[in-house]
Amino acid sequence: METDNLSDLTAACIRCGFCLEACPTFQITGEETESPRGRIYLIRSADSNTLGWAEIAPHVDRCLGCRACETACPSGVHYGQIFELAKAKMPSKRWRSSLLRQLADVKRARRQFKLAALLPGRKLPNFVSRLLTKQPTSTRIPRPQESRNYPPLEALPPIKGQVALLRGCVMDALFPNVHEATIRLLRRIGFEVIEIRNQCCGALHAHSGDLQDARKKFDQLVTSLPTDIVLLTNSAGCGSHLKESGAMAKDVSEFLYENGLVDALKMSHGITCRVGYHDACHLAHGQGVRRQPRELLRSVPGAELVEIPDSDRCCGSAGIYNVQQPTLAKHLLDQKWGSIEVAEPDIVVSGNPGCHAWIDQARVERSSRIQVLHTMEFLEASFSGLFN
Amino acid sequence: MFGSAELSALQAIVGTDGVLRGPSAERAYDCDAYTVERSKPTAVVLPKTTGEVARLVRWCNEVEMPFAARGAGTGLSGGAMPALGGLIISTKRLNRILQCDIPNRKLLAQAGVVNAHVTKAVAEAGLHFAPDPSSQTVSTIGGNIAENSGGPHTLKYGVTAPHVLGLTLVCPNGEILALTRREQSPDLISLIVGAEGLLGIVTEAWLKLTPLPDRTETALIAFSTVRAATEAVSAIIREGIVPAALELMDRRILEAVRLAFGFEFHPDTEAMLLVECDGEPASCRAEIERVGELSSGALDFRLAKDEDERSRFWLARKKGIGAMGRLAPTIVTHDGVIPPSKLPEMLEFVYAVADKHQVGVANIFHAGDGNLHPCFYFDDRIPGTVERVVEAGEAIMRRCVELGGSLTGEHGIGIEKIDMMPLMFSEADLKMQSWVRRAFSPGNLCNPCKVIPNQKGCIEHRRRWRGAAT
Repeated sequence: METDNLSDLTAACIRCGFCLEACPTFQITGEETESPRGRIYLIRSADSNTLGWAEIAPHVDRCLGCRACETACPSGVHYGQIFELAKAKMPSKRWRSSLLRQLADVKRARRQFKLAALLPGRKLPNFVSRLLTKQPTSTRIPRPQESRNYPPLEALPPIKGQVALLRGCVMDALFPNVHEATIRLLRRIGFEVIEIRNQCCGALHAHSGDLQDARKKFDQLVTSLPTDIVLLTNSAGCGSHLKESGAMAKDVSEFLYENGLVDALKMSHGITCRVGYHDACHLAHGQGVRRQPRELLRSVPGAELVEIPDSDRCCGSAGIYNVQQPTLAKHLLDQKWGSIEVAEPDIVVSGNPGCHAWIDQARVERSSRIQVLHTMEFLEASFSGLFN
Repeated sequence: MFGSAELSALQAIVGTDGVLRGPSAERAYDCDAYTVERSKPTAVVLPKTTGEVARLVRWCNEVEMPFAARGAGTGLSGGAMPALGGLIISTKRLNRILQCDIPNRKLLAQAGVVNAHVTKAVAEAGLHFAPDPSSQTVSTIGGNIAENSGGPHTLKYGVTAPHVLGLTLVCPNGEILALTRREQSPDLISLIVGAEGLLGIVTEAWLKLTPLPDRTETALIAFSTVRAATEAVSAIIREGIVPAALELMDRRILEAVRLAFGFEFHPDTEAMLLVECDGEPASCRAEIERVGELSSGALDFRLAKDEDERSRFWLARKKGIGAMGRLAPTIVTHDGVIPPSKLPEMLEFVYAVADKHQVGVANIFHAGDGNLHPCFYFDDRIPGTVERVVEAGEAIMRRCVELGGSLTGEHGIGIEKIDMMPLMFSEADLKMQSWVRRAFSPGNLCNPCKVIPNQKGCIEHRRRWRGAAT
């Protein structure tokens, strides 16, 4: 059913309830109003004027947008789409939009992240958080990564093609090394990279219901691209948004897996360690990408891939959710870190900057010895060695 | 009727975050997975202990407020609908496994524990909780007990009742009762299991754990007509074989499952049997081979090679109803029982009734014990549809009873089939059921207007519930 009509989209739910236990906020609260089935019903009711949008807003705002319910749903309800359309109706949109403007512009984001150093504990003051969410803050504003000096690339294969890499907003501001690692890995299998700078795909906007802004950003991005080129991204959220908006896009882990990185990795130095993989929601649930990153990790000589229990349960980062819903987000983060510790990895990796920064906060709070990296940083380290 | 004093009284019992009020909560809890009839609760409470449930029930008695228990809300007969408003007592925070006694193969769970989580907790010890309703990944032990749920493996292992060894029940007056099977008293557990929440709220249960079979063989058998498939079922039963499961899915279900999971089948398939045999390896193998011989007219006989393929076969069955959303926005899944030998004529009747009432129907059911699940699919936003669906359902139920069967196999009577009770029970039968209910629940506050027809104060509400969809 291809439609953007909320009535048709929500009617696809037959209320079987098979989504309930997949939903992190239902698992925590046990409340029907905090479940996918409940939210769809409320959205359907607001859409047909039985309830007001303001009345259902708290329940829609408490949704992570992780889309684990889509994986569980036998009826193929497009929850992600329903969620974005409902977000667009939310009265809480205004302050969210201004926060997004700060994040979705690389230069502004860099400045904001630097200014954050002035805040005690790198956290928003409680009074600000309370103004926004009525809850005390729990989110540290992440510190941008220091650029590392990678050694020069050697023994490279001939170039067989070009790909575009979206440097994006949050990733570019916070994790420049991830881009560096991604470019190096692509070059190692014979691909030259055209870097797309200072462009935002609109994913953060779409997931927050700013659908017009999202469309504008996406259109700008697509028109700036050379034709007939695959657009790669190392951010799960961007990837699922790009694909669903109709771009010829791939997550970089898919592309590397399909184009020979497995063989290249087998010839690399390797890393002797236990590595755990956290499934970013927008990779696992949004794009169905689970196997490829794991196969790549398994190909690193010396690395043992350990499964994190419930690895595809949301960590609570969920775009800007950890700023909007600090209490639930923190609960999910503690749960996630608990699961990670059960698997006893030396390093935990994931494919999304939001998860990366958020899970890293748990590490910092506990002064844990477990390292938190992006999948690309880990794979590149198999060739050029770990940083630190 | 419900003001700040009432709110504080409830918050004093379950904490401030344990009470849900307001238009969203009223909406979200106005029905379960049976959506044809809806009614708003006054408030929703989420207790964490048996003691809290008992205090809530006592409070309801003091202020004369009706109450109904609700688990995951996956029930298909409206058992968790707050028919006269009042309190929904959700068991979703009674979600702990309290004791696990592996040597004696039993486990104590709170009512809100998910069925599949019980099996997950004991799988390493080679055990499982045998009742396996299709909703088992989300439905709760409390809900399974209330409905005496079945499932595909009921054929061999029995429904929920024989797997419940003990219960903690909060009676309709708020008294806490611990029931075991050991006592020399009347078997009250068998009365409570399947009572659809009319006789109190089960808060904890000792469950029997069953060893996993040594070997399991699972086959999918495709037939070119529904009749050929139902005749094969009769032949298997006649032979004296008791498969662990014997399920039938018709073409419409298979199409929904194909759309949902890319499940492929022979193009001429009109019906598919899923047969599973388990037990000691040699006899299990012999059984499934005999099943193959008995389905000689089949288009295709596929035996699962490994556990992976076996779970793919089961995915089609377990998520089949859920996948019906691929065909239409609304479904009503019926639940009737007939003697297995009557399956061929009954299914022809089901298709004819659906045609006559101009609604779509798909069939996915426990063929081995004659437990039908005709699933009507339609768009409830089109006026008049809901009424046609209700009529078609009634015609099918009437036929089940005429053929010597029953109104429900496992989904319960609830609100859905209350008017059909006289089809199966005489006035004297119904009167006795009322007496039993009154012995437990003299005040008519505990899940009112369910199961037993013509309750005082219910009839005038009927019109309000029905067709309250959209």
